Amino acid sequence: MNRRVATIRVKLEKSAAPAPAPRAPAHKRRRMGAWREHHARSFRASLRRLAGRPGATALTLLVMSLALCLPFLLWLLLDNARALGGHLDDARGIGVFLKPEIDAATARSFADKLRRRTDVAVVAIKTPEEGLAEFRSQSGFADALKVLQSNPLPTVLIVTPKIAAASARATPALVDELAHDKHVDQVQYDALWRQRLDAILAFTARVAGVLAMLLGLAALLVVGNTVRNDIVGRAEEISVMQLLGADRAFVRRPFLYTGLWYGALAGLVALLLIAGVEIALAAPLDQLTSSYGGRFTIHGLSWVQAIALFGTSVMLGWLGAWIATSRQLRLGRPQ
Amino acid sequence: MIKFEQVGKKYPSGQEALSELSFELDAGEMAFIAGHSGAGKSTLLRMVALMDRPTRGQITVNGQNLAKTKARHVPRVRRGVGMVFQDHRLLMDRSVFDNVALPLEIAGCARGEIGRRVRAALDKVGLLAREAAAPVTLSTGEQQRVGIARAIVGKPPVLIADEPTGNLDPMLSAEIMKLFAEFEQVGTTVLVASHDLNLIKRMGKRVLVLDHGKLIDDFRPAAAAASNNAVARSARDDYPPSPASATNGEGQQVGAGQDAAVPPLSPGQGDA
Ligand SMILES: Nc1ncnc2c1ncn2[C@@H]1O[C@H](COP(=O)(O)OP(=O)(O)O)[C@@H](O)[C@H]1O
Ligand SMILES: [Mg+2]
Repeated sequence: MNRRVATIRVKLEKSAAPAPAPRAPAHKRRRMGAWREHHARSFRASLRRLAGRPGATALTLLVMSLALCLPFLLWLLLDNARALGGHLDDARGIGVFLKPEIDAATARSFADKLRRRTDVAVVAIKTPEEGLAEFRSQSGFADALKVLQSNPLPTVLIVTPKIAAASARATPALVDELAHDKHVDQVQYDALWRQRLDAILAFTARVAGVLAMLLGLAALLVVGNTVRNDIVGRAEEISVMQLLGADRAFVRRPFLYTGLWYGALAGLVALLLIAGVEIALAAPLDQLTSSYGGRFTIHGLSWVQAIALFGTSVMLGWLGAWIATSRQLRLGRPQ
Repeated sequence: MIKFEQVGKKYPSGQEALSELSFELDAGEMAFIAGHSGAGKSTLLRMVALMDRPTRGQITVNGQNLAKTKARHVPRVRRGVGMVFQDHRLLMDRSVFDNVALPLEIAGCARGEIGRRVRAALDKVGLLAREAAAPVTLSTGEQQRVGIARAIVGKPPVLIADEPTGNLDPMLSAEIMKLFAEFEQVGTTVLVASHDLNLIKRMGKRVLVLDHGKLIDDFRPAAAAASNNAVARSARDDYPPSPASATNGEGQQVGAGQDAAVPPLSPGQGDA
């Protein structure tokens, strides 16, 4: 019985496979080719499937790309705000405006007293005359200033605190003391609002980070859910393939490509959306920057950032599909 | 090729679908599973295809002990078992050709080979002309024949069918059954479940009769028994002792060797 089968098999093999000698490597090579072919086929078929139901695809892409571009836009805004902050003078110095009745000699002795303090590095004196000259040269007010009969500016001491850069919190003690001194009219401490700006920027950056995570998760869920629906809709096909001996990787492949396509397309749409926003905001931003005398420029998404956005999107699409297939293929056993 | 040893299956619901079932099918042998509805025919076939596992006993298919088959090896075992379903289960959004090509794609055949073998399989079931057709445009009998082509295109050593003629009229049924008998001729082990006793009788093949999950008869027609060199008796365990055990051992070795060297899809039996 078995021998009969065996001889039949041998005969058939002889007729069907003319060159049995280099068979094992040839067989392997053939398998690799077939594997690549299945990838290519899955790649094309999944795109065809997306094109087959344009409504659902468009909706998924829109939700996904919005979720992707919002954190990037926020990030862009932050980046520019940081650049704007950096352009302002490094205002670590404390501007001490002395009372108008203080004369030059008193001002000098007050400055000397301050210089002896351990927490003060440098004290510069700016007399009213120097102040006026600086004012004249800097702003275009020269003509208007000519009208003035007397110099309205007070003497100003620019006090640079020691170790202020490292421990920004130490300076306010000095600032406070100066503000309460009997010679002092007003203290202007720019570092204070710089600190506040930094804090606000750091907070916004954190918000952007958290938002990016949440929206990334949303994008993941959107893709995952779309792929899950796809899987449920093709349950019979999956069952049949599994009964015909398809392994997990084979069944999963087209769905992973679906996720990849969603990711890639959503990434492109998100880039288009960001470009659209940049174009829409270009004119008002121009006005804003020119009001700053063109000292800083607004920058858009760089190439690196654009590629990062696209890569993130592709990865999220793939991951969403991977999670959905893992869950569904474990739950679904062929019937 | 297929060996059941004291197999029992109890569903979680408590229903005992099979009990103490033992039988053996040689390579290239064909047998029917007969029995009333609910006798356990589908359950038996489901276990051959690893769609379900027995709660007792051992099943060996193609020399592989199914109880020891890990989940990740299930696909490989299934590739060695061609399956035909009562409702054919063709994928309606693919052409006849693509349906039949599916097992080859899964097994990783190159495109040229797929084309050749799909046409050979379609030719065998007489549907070569319809390869580009959509399955919905075919008659029920033709659809079932496509299902059979899909089951045998990978040249699996074992072919199982659960009520393959359940939806067909008597004439088509006989045609389909004859088709199965042809695969036996080329060395495929064929196991077909059917409740159509008249049809089964006319086929003149071995019949395993189930009743409430028990094997109550193992009927071998005289002609088949003679060619099998076995005693034409209905019984579970009364094979002639020595030849039977020799055959078993050899069968398993052949099965195992074949599994390693020649995957189910390499040019082998069939196609004649
Ligand atoms: N999934 C299941 N869960 C519980 N009981 C089942 C299940 N499948 C089948 N059965 C029971 O097992 C017995 C055998 O069923 P089946 O193998 O389908 O019989 P047949 O195919 O011979 O009609 C029946 O009593 C049936 O009710
Ligand atoms: Mg049944």
